[in-house]
Amino acid sequence: MLKLIRLEWKKNNIGKYIRNAVILSALLCLFVFALTFLGIANDPDGTLDAAPGMDTVSSLIELFTGMAFLIFTSVMLSSFIVSAYQNKTMNLMFTYPVRRQKILISQMVSVWIFNFAALVLSKLAIYLCVFIGSGFMPSFFAVDFDMGSPSFYLQLILKSFVIVSMGFMALFVGMALKSSKAAIITSFLLIFLTQANVGDFTMSGNAVFPFVLTVISFGFAVLSICHVERRDLS
Amino acid sequence: MSYVLQTNHLTKRIDGKELVNDVNIHVKKGEIYGFAGPNGAGKTTVMKMITNLWKPTEGTVELFGVPLENTSCEVFRRMGSIIEFPTFYEHMSGRDNLWLHCEYMGYYHRDGIPETLEMLGLAGAADQPVKKYSLGMKQRLGIARAVLCRPELVVLDEPTNGLDPAGLKQIRELFKMLSTEYGITFLISSHLLSEIESIADTVGIISHGKMVREVSMEEISEMNTAFIELSVENTQKAAYVLTEKLNLDRFKVLDDVRIRIYDATVTTQNISRELLLNGVEIVSITKHTGSLEDYFLKMTAEVEKSC
Repeated sequence: MLKLIRLEWKKNNIGKYIRNAVILSALLCLFVFALTFLGIANDPDGTLDAAPGMDTVSSLIELFTGMAFLIFTSVMLSSFIVSAYQNKTMNLMFTYPVRRQKILISQMVSVWIFNFAALVLSKLAIYLCVFIGSGFMPSFFAVDFDMGSPSFYLQLILKSFVIVSMGFMALFVGMALKSSKAAIITSFLLIFLTQANVGDFTMSGNAVFPFVLTVISFGFAVLSICHVERRDLS
Repeated sequence: MSYVLQTNHLTKRIDGKELVNDVNIHVKKGEIYGFAGPNGAGKTTVMKMITNLWKPTEGTVELFGVPLENTSCEVFRRMGSIIEFPTFYEHMSGRDNLWLHCEYMGYYHRDGIPETLEMLGLAGAADQPVKKYSLGMKQRLGIARAVLCRPELVVLDEPTNGLDPAGLKQIRELFKMLSTEYGITFLISSHLLSEIESIADTVGIISHGKMVREVSMEEISEMNTAFIELSVENTQKAAYVLTEKLNLDRFKVLDDVRIRIYDATVTTQNISRELLLNGVEIVSITKHTGSLEDYFLKMTAEVEKSC
């Protein structure tokens, strides 16, 4: 399996995705930095203009990194899997002496590992920048995290796990509709579903919701591959 | 007799439409099997089922004596293939595409890559990205990939598409060499009957999704002896010799100099010897045999009538 994952990275030109992930993280870092210390989202009178529950730095970082990397994961899954069906390189893959399910699992895992690592590192870098910045500048958002606490890292890892796994739902839709665009649009819809507020209610504030979401995501991952051995390739 | 590849009553229906019906193919070890048929006859459908890309609605495919199942994959270590058209990772070079193929096939004889590139005339372009290749170069690279790991069976769907005449000749010779020197078995489909005629040992003809005939090229050549045409100084005397001395009655005097003999049992040597012994001067004697194309047209016409 490790060899298959390495080959997936090699043939899909992983260097390009590393570069894009670094650029994305840098832009997110700049944006969060500007919101936190330069007050670019403040009202003209200088008071903070944030949605209820979004007045802390951690909620800000989780929201923007989550959104960005859910889309990034969906784009990569589309490129690795949905596009492979479209440009027929999957036909080639399925003539190799490797089970079809194993091939698809290796593709999904290769994207998952990359994005999980990228999201964790990106968040860590942004938290670190804000932490360092808060020592020199006044913050418009409440600095509510403690980088010395193990629970900070546990939460960071768990939230990243949920976000990246949600990409499998987008993949399922993309594979069902045979469309990369459908997968990417689904990831946008998932952001609205998980981050939007209806009055005071928001899914993101619910403790059980991430767990349910992860189970559903892996359910979709299984659905994406369960009939692949019996299916005709177009 | 055991076959490298055998299909038994292979049938494929999609949405109630029958694409192929009751196709039986028998490919012997080491032979080049030409799979001929008009466009839309079902060649690619059969090849997709042989490579497990499509699953049969009915019937079975046996590879190396073992029935192919939904989850079969190990058998593909012994096979190379191009179905429809070769696909590549276009941003990678030809060499890297072949390297990747070796990795997936578990083939670690890496000297094979430069050797095969050289053999297919792609050594000079080996490090260029495939997206810069012409159609013919991609076809060559596809063939290189199919034969690279020295498989026992190579399944090629229209492998000569996009090749120029020199390329065609080179590929034809390559297939023959690989078949005779390495014992590789080939199943090749082509709409170019002359191509199949020049390389195949056995030909399978498919039309309207049905297998019309499976026959060796030798048999075709024997069956297709159409006529012997004679040009002589004296047709009357020649006709007398053919009737009285050679006991032939299936011939026709075309004009003052030409006679056509429609008897496959008599040889040109016998005719010329007997005519010369009886003082008939021969201007020319030619044996006309039908091509695979004639045979193919005859066979497919029969199927069309029955349809």
